[in-house]
Order: sequence, then structure tokens, then C-alpha cells
Amino acid sequence: MRKLTPRSVLLGLAAPVGALVFAAVVSAIILAVTGHAPTDAVDAMARAAERPRTLVNAVNSATYYYLAAVAVAIGFRMKLFNIGVDGQYRLAALLSAALAGAAFMEQLPSFLRITVTIVVAMLVGAAWAGLAALLKVTRGVSEVISTIMLNAVATYLVSYLNRPERLAVSTAGSNNIGTPKITEGGQVAGFTVEGSSSKLFGLIFLAAAVGVLYWFVLSRTRFGFELKATGLSESAAVASGVNVKKMVVLSMLLSGAVAGLVGMPQLLGSSYSYSLDFPAGLGFIGIAVALLGRNHPIGMAIAALLWGFLANTANSFDTSGIPREIVDIMQGVIVLSVVVAYELVRRYRVRAEQHAVGGALGRTKTLEEVSS
Amino acid sequence: MSTEPPAAVELTGITKRFPGVIANSDVNITVRAGTVHAIVGENGAGKSTLMKILYGMQPPDEGTIAVNGAPVSFGSPADAIRAGIGMVHQHFMLADNLTVLENVVLGSEPRKGVALDFAAARAKIRDISDAYGLGVHPDRLVDDLGVGERQRVEILKVLYRGARVLILDEPTAVLVPQEVDELFGNLRELKAEGLTILFISHKLDEVLSVADDITVIRRGTTVASVSPSDVTARELAELMVGSALPVPELRDSTVTAKPVLTVKNLTVTGADGRLVLDDISFTIHAGEVLGIAGVEGNGQAELVEALMGIHAPNAGRVTLGDRAGNQRDITRASTRHRREAGMGYIPEDRHRQGVLLEASLWENRVLGHQTRPPNNRGPLLDRKGAKADTRRIVSEYDVRTPSIEVNASALSGGNQQKLIVGREMSGRPVVLLASHPTRGVDVGAQAAIWDHIRRARAQELAVLLISADLDELIGMSDTLAVILRGRFVAEYDPRTVTPEQLGSAMTGAGKEG
Repeated sequence: MRKLTPRSVLLGLAAPVGALVFAAVVSAIILAVTGHAPTDAVDAMARAAERPRTLVNAVNSATYYYLAAVAVAIGFRMKLFNIGVDGQYRLAALLSAALAGAAFMEQLPSFLRITVTIVVAMLVGAAWAGLAALLKVTRGVSEVISTIMLNAVATYLVSYLNRPERLAVSTAGSNNIGTPKITEGGQVAGFTVEGSSSKLFGLIFLAAAVGVLYWFVLSRTRFGFELKATGLSESAAVASGVNVKKMVVLSMLLSGAVAGLVGMPQLLGSSYSYSLDFPAGLGFIGIAVALLGRNHPIGMAIAALLWGFLANTANSFDTSGIPREIVDIMQGVIVLSVVVAYELVRRYRVRAEQHAVGGALGRTKTLEEVSS
Repeated sequence: MSTEPPAAVELTGITKRFPGVIANSDVNITVRAGTVHAIVGENGAGKSTLMKILYGMQPPDEGTIAVNGAPVSFGSPADAIRAGIGMVHQHFMLADNLTVLENVVLGSEPRKGVALDFAAARAKIRDISDAYGLGVHPDRLVDDLGVGERQRVEILKVLYRGARVLILDEPTAVLVPQEVDELFGNLRELKAEGLTILFISHKLDEVLSVADDITVIRRGTTVASVSPSDVTARELAELMVGSALPVPELRDSTVTAKPVLTVKNLTVTGADGRLVLDDISFTIHAGEVLGIAGVEGNGQAELVEALMGIHAPNAGRVTLGDRAGNQRDITRASTRHRREAGMGYIPEDRHRQGVLLEASLWENRVLGHQTRPPNNRGPLLDRKGAKADTRRIVSEYDVRTPSIEVNASALSGGNQQKLIVGREMSGRPVVLLASHPTRGVDVGAQAAIWDHIRRARAQELAVLLISADLDELIGMSDTLAVILRGRFVAEYDPRTVTPEQLGSAMTGAGKEG
């Protein structure tokens, strides 16, 4: 990451802030056109923001959005599109939930039990992503296509396994089915927030740790350098001695491992079982959050919080008579406009930098100076 | 002046400022109609900015442009084209899988109602081609054309759009001597038909042979307007640089008996099964420069990539000797392994293999050297060490940049090249594979790069030098080989060979060796 100067910070903020303002304007227009008062929406959001519960839920959502975004961003950094985070985390959540809920796990001390659950989730996610990586390096199959298809395969595999005769149990008095409930020793305790009936996920620290690790590996290690180099120019990376196939496999495995974590905060902090109503589609939200946050560890955290907040205010729109779908529209417009805005800022930055370099060319050295 | 016809193009007092820098200041050029007017200057002297202004890509801050005596102001290249000014870029902008005809009409398709009128376009292309002796056939696939022919297609494209003034940006950079002669024949023909040509170059012999007038640009301003009959190439070069000039030459032989890079029967097949390298063998000793002459596309790229371990050869053996003289078979070694063993690599296409355009200069310093100090500490990057060493390269190799944090894309090609050369020469390599090491760099930097290679050679560096600049090859090599269709066809002593001899061997016209 480059040095922070007031100018670079301003430029970095220009795109996302501009996109947000633009999305707000578009949403307001849509509300006005469909006969709703945009001010009502603002009111509803403001009221939601006053409720501690909404905020806690927003941060909780942000926790798994962030993990999904990091998983996507690892691939993005080397121009590898892991669209399969969705399938990876669902399969990982199901299998690790089944393991964590199994009776024999109760023998283990709590810490070990949680660790095993999490490690298994990472392994499952990595394995599922690894399939796409293998197809890419051995057969040249585009990871975009294979991960999308693996998402569908994961969906069917999950429905097949999540049956009472296999990994699931029926819940009494409900038509929901899911894995056996993880008993208290396997749960991760949350934090109570005053005025809120829901607790803050304990695994929020896991997300933060993943973020720090992501930053460290990418910007401080040789591996991160080679990942970036491969993303910027595969041919230059090859010429500099990077084994691109190995990088593809490694980054897909890492991406899949982080994807495996996506379901953990919810599973171990709130649901305690993988059932039909386990949150779905987080992998795709992760793509949007990674885009909005520019694959930057802090940028993605802010984007995840924003996404979490928007998603959780949708409920209060219902009570104000405003269609909650406006949130989806808003998120969609943000993603589209932010992509355009980043490109505009990027071009501006390239030009500004060339001018700066031009400024340094004021003096031409004489030949004696050059060759002496 | 008053009785002469108006100048085809007259630039008066052109000034262009970018924040903090003046790219052009008070440029005055008068281009007489029906002449070849050369604009010469070092890289970064402001030639490109000036041409961008003339071609409508950037507006000048001050000054006026007049075409045929009438003042004009261009908002875009489309305006320039309308005023009869066309540009042939250095890098061809042709679609390989389309025919000449399709390429030429692309963007200005002739219509008959809603349909495309290819018949009319074909006739027009034939007319233009015949009128100026371009010899371009409209129905050939661009993919099948050689470099010289492609360039003629580019010229035709511009003429097709009605240009009367042609800007040619470094047109000879990609041509061999024989093709250059053909191009100059074409230019004379165009001139005879009353067209005006602005010829940008820094190859001074060529400028002297083809231009009617020469304008020299230095540091953004016009420093001299001369007639080719009044100056020598040396004087012209000194005007460009503003001081005395270097020549590529190796003073004394430093060749030792210690083999460093030994290649035996190297054979490489291309993706289509064709032999691209056919049984190549050579040895480069410590302190020796082996120059390879050849028309581009005769296996040079494949040779270098096979030696760097980027593409595996089909047969043959490559051995690398270290400073102590121990020989190691590296035929199957990975690129990283070879780099760590002391192979430096200056690639032919720096944007493809040499730099990460969207990464900072210091990150580019790390590129290819990420496993060696001062860039790493085990698996961690040593950012401090890398940055300090980048600063050293920037000052030793005179890379013009305000900071090592800017992206490589912000630097001019010549400065990117200096950074690459500096990087590849660091860590004392035992062998350097240099493809066109001074391509696109200015005279001063060229001298500096030669100097660095010479000095490293004196300290037992073995160099494989591939270049399109025959003077550079002859001047810098201890041994010269000519490659044609993947085979070494001739070997020359650089002390006795002439560029003409090399040129004919390169095209296969000379005697087979």
C-alpha cells in the first residue's frame, strides 16, 4: 500500500463517497417516482440507527460479510475470480456443524472443540475451492465457470446431506431440518450489548484477525508480493521466476479456507446448527463488499459495516410503508457506480502521477555526469 | 517567404504546461509543403507531447497551429484528420485476423444505404496503393504480412482518410535496414505526390538520408532548425543532447577462457509444431559479449525464453558456470533457480515481462529478485532494504523520477528501461541476457547503459546481446552470430563486419555460414 498523504486519502475516498451519494440520489428518485417520500426512508434509517439491536445485528452481519469479502479479495488480488465462496462456505458450515454437533465431540474441552470445528470448516472450504484450482491448472478451465458450477453442486450436495437419514435431525414442532444442535461447550459466547436482545458475535475477533493476517501476508511477505505481481502481469511474474500454477493453487486454497470461515460466526454464535434457514448468498455479498472496499483490509471492513447496516435497516422500512427492496436497489447502484468511480479516479491518478514525474524531469544531466 | 506557398503546417509559440512542469515551451516549427520534415530529440524532450498537440489529442496552452496558412484549433484527432493530418503510430494498431481492406475501413466504413460498400473501398485502396507505390493488396490477411508491409497498411489507412500531412512516429524502430530503404522509397514517392511528412526519429543517419529539413528539440523547446546537407550525424546528436557523444565500443578484449553459458543443440518447437529454434549451440565465456543479429521473429525471443526457463526446450542442454568455474546443467531448472544462480534478464518487451506498470518503482526493483537480499528476509519482504536499493539504482542509473513510490507507468519508457537495467545488473549476475537493452532510451541513457555493461564485462560478466541496432551490436559484441529462421547462419568478427553484410545475412541474402 502506498504512502498516505492528504491528497491520496482524499482521492481514495472520492470514489466510494461519490458512489454512495450517487446511489442515494438514485434511490431517492426511485422512491419519489414510485410515490414514496424519500424523507420517510431517511427517517426510517435514522430510527433504525438509534436501536442498539439493529446496530448489533449490523455488526454481526458485517462480520460474515467481511470474511466473505476477504475470501473473494485473495483471489481478486491475482485476478482470480472465486465466485464459489458461496458454495464453499455453505458446504463448510454444514459439515463442520455436523461434526461440532456430534455426540462424541462433547468429550473435548471447549477450546479444542471450537478449534476443530473451525479448522474443519477451513479445510472443507479449501478443498471445495481446490477443485476449481485443479481444473484450472491441469485443464485450463476458467475458475469463473467452475466455481459457479461448483456452487450449484454444493447446493445439491448440501440438500442431499441435510436430511434426517444423513447428517440432519428434525426439529420438533417445526418443519425445519438441520444438524444436531451444538451444545454449549462447542459454542462461542457473544457479548451482551445494553438495550439489545441479540449478542455481538464472539467470532468478530476471528474476522479482525483474518483481516490483519490478510494485510500482513499481502503487503509484507514474498508470497503476497508474488500474488500481486501475478495479478498485475502474469507474463512479468513468470519472467521473474514465479510459478504461476502454484500461485493459482495456493491462492485458491487460501481463498477457500477463508470462505470456510464465513459461516462460523453465525453457526457458533447464534444458530448452533446448520438448518434450512442458515444465511445464504453471503458469497455474492462478499464480492460486492470486496469491490466496494477495493480489496483493502480496512476498506472492506467499512464496506461490510455499511452493507450490514443497510441490510438490517430494511426491517424498519417495512414499518414505515417503504418497500424494503429499496435497500437492494441501493446496494446494486452502489456497486455499479463504485466500479465506474474507481476507474475514473484511477485514470485521474495515473495522469496526476505522470505530471509529477514530468516535474522531476526538469533537468537533463550532461553526458559527463551520466557516464562519470 | 512571402512568395512561397503557405507552409503545410506552422507551429508558432506552442507551449504546454502540466502542473509543475513545462512539456513544451515556445516551440516554433515551419513545415514546408511537399517535404519530409524530421523532428529529432531525445526521449522525454517533448516530441510526443508536441505531436499529440498537432494531432489534436491535447490542446496547447499557448501558441497557434496553422495548416496551409489557415489557423486551426483541434479538439480531437477527428478534427486533425478533417484538416488532413494523419498519424502513423509506432506500435501498429491492426487487427491480425482481419484483411487489409477490413483494417483500413475500420472506423470509417464506406456505406451504401445501410450496407457496407466494400467494392468502393477496395477500389479506393488499390488506387492509393498504386498512386504511391505502396504495393498493398486489400484482400490479404494482416496476419500474413511482414512488419514492413504492416507499416505500409498503417500509412495507407491514414491516406485513406484523406490525410495530406503524415506524422510518422519512430517508423524505423521495427524495421531492418532493407525495409528502412523501402520505407524511404515510399516516403519519397509520397513527397513527390505533394504530401508532407513529419518524421519523428532519433536514428540520425536515417534522418539525414530522408529529411529535407530537420528540427531539433531539446528539453521541450526547438533548439535548432538545420538542413541535412549542413550537418553530420554527430553534430546533430550533439545538438540533441547538448554535449559530446558516446559511441558503442569495447576498448580491450576482456574475454576469458572460462565458459559461463554453454548451449548445446538447443531445439524448440512452437505451438504449431514448427521448429522455432533449430539446433543452436554456442558458448559465452566470462567477460564476453555474444551479439545476435537477426530480423525480429527469427527465434531470438524463443532463445531467450528457453535460456530463462520460461519455456522448456524440446532438446538440447544448457550449462551455467559460476564464478568458481563449476558447471551446472540448468536445462530443466526453473526460472527462479536460474535467477538465483545469477542470470540477469533484460526482456525485449518491458511492459510484458520487465515491469509491473501498476506497481511502485521499489516493488519493481523487487520483481525477479524477490528471493534475494536486499529484498527479502526469509519469507518476508524487506521493504526498507528494497527501497534503499531502489534509491541507489535511481541515482546510479539516472532514473528520472520524483520518488520511488510512483507507479512504473508514470515513467517514460527510457526511464523504465534504466530501472530494469539497474535491477538486472544488481547482485552481480554471472550472465546477462539482454534483449534490446537500449531500445527507446535516449542517447545519454544509452551511453550509460553501454557503460554499465562494459564495466560489468570487465568484471567477468557474460552477456548475450540481442539488438535491432546494428551499430550497437557491432560496437558492443566480442563475437557476432546471425540468426535466421531459428538457426545460426553466419558468424562474424565485429571488428571487420559492416552493417550491410549483417543486413544481408539477416535476410538470408548473403552467403550461408
